Amino acid sequence: MKTTFGALSLIFILGVLLVVANPNYGLKFGLGGEDWEEYRYTDQYYIEHGVKEVGGTNIVTDIVFDYRGYDTLGEATVLFTSIAGAVALLRKWRGEK
Amino acid sequence: MIAFQFVTAFLMIFMGLYAFLYKRNLIKLVLALNLVDAGIHLLLISLGYRLENGLLPTAPIYTGYETLKGTPMVGPIPQALVLTSIVIGVCVLSLAMALTINAYQHYETLDVSKLRRLRG
Amino acid sequence: MRPQNSDMGLIVKTMARATIPLIGIFGAYVIAHGHITPGGGFQGGATIAGAGVLFLVAFGLSEAKEKINKNFYSVLEGIGGLVFLAAGMLGLGVVFFYNVLWHKGPVFNGEAGTLLSAGYLPIMNLAVGLKVYTGLVSALFAIALFRRWKK
Repeated sequence: MKTTFGALSLIFILGVLLVVANPNYGLKFGLGGEDWEEYRYTDQYYIEHGVKEVGGTNIVTDIVFDYRGYDTLGEATVLFTSIAGAVALLRKWRGEK
Repeated sequence: MIAFQFVTAFLMIFMGLYAFLYKRNLIKLVLALNLVDAGIHLLLISLGYRLENGLLPTAPIYTGYETLKGTPMVGPIPQALVLTSIVIGVCVLSLAMALTINAYQHYETLDVSKLRRLRG
Repeated sequence: MRPQNSDMGLIVKTMARATIPLIGIFGAYVIAHGHITPGGGFQGGATIAGAGVLFLVAFGLSEAKEKINKNFYSVLEGIGGLVFLAAGMLGLGVVFFYNVLWHKGPVFNGEAGTLLSAGYLPIMNLAVGLKVYTGLVSALFAIALFRRWKK
């Protein structure tokens, strides 16, 4: 009873996701023209003014380190904490050789 | 037109969820979490594509070879977010592996349904 | 049954001696040119960590214990994080992550597209690359050194 209910709910979730992937009523693949100007104006601003304000020709790097540098600071903290935790879990105990 | 990027991303999320709910080995559960992560990253990157009246876009880097005026560039914001998310996925994987090694050393079995003895 | 601290044979060791410096040079190129070509701090750090893991696997644990010093790698990881934070605090007069070195700085002020340009981006790339490399090699070395199995 419980296993059939779980299997039916998983198949229902898969059906809903495949309906969402249909481009007629769901996620559209490849915006362009007017939709791009209306929904993605931040991307257009970063592409146009990225080289003049930051100076690097790689737009992705100067989003990661200059326009959104605070998120990279949080990610460096997560990296430091997780490596410290993983090394501390695999250490020798006190009563061993 | 079927957009194959979205179908593959949703299939990967579904396979990861299925393996997480129906398997009993601890290492398979940890790998299934990473598979769900990979599916979500593919979905996020393929949302940034751009088609402007028939021209194929290029990567968002200013090389010196822009000869065709009006060649559009792919949106750079989803790529920046996915870069951070990949690093966080690696960190979660390393902590989960350290916990799995400790659990195997304590219980001597890797079966999830046998890990029910609390001490003390 | 192979003992715990053995290496992987003569062919693998010879090929590892040839390819570890090449992987290191390619990783340093990816880190240093992070603001011109695709790449940057995180990608280059993961590439150089691949060279470190190749050394650990091909030469065995007993040879890696002499070359890798755990306390030194811990100190390097902390230094990488602190240099990243200090580079963000340089322009604290205006906002938190202000790019002072590009607008009116001494060195990183050249034309867009050369190596000495784009403000504090090369400094941050080097700091993050060092942090990722030392962190990944420390975690994998700690997994390889685990000896608490019950008999």
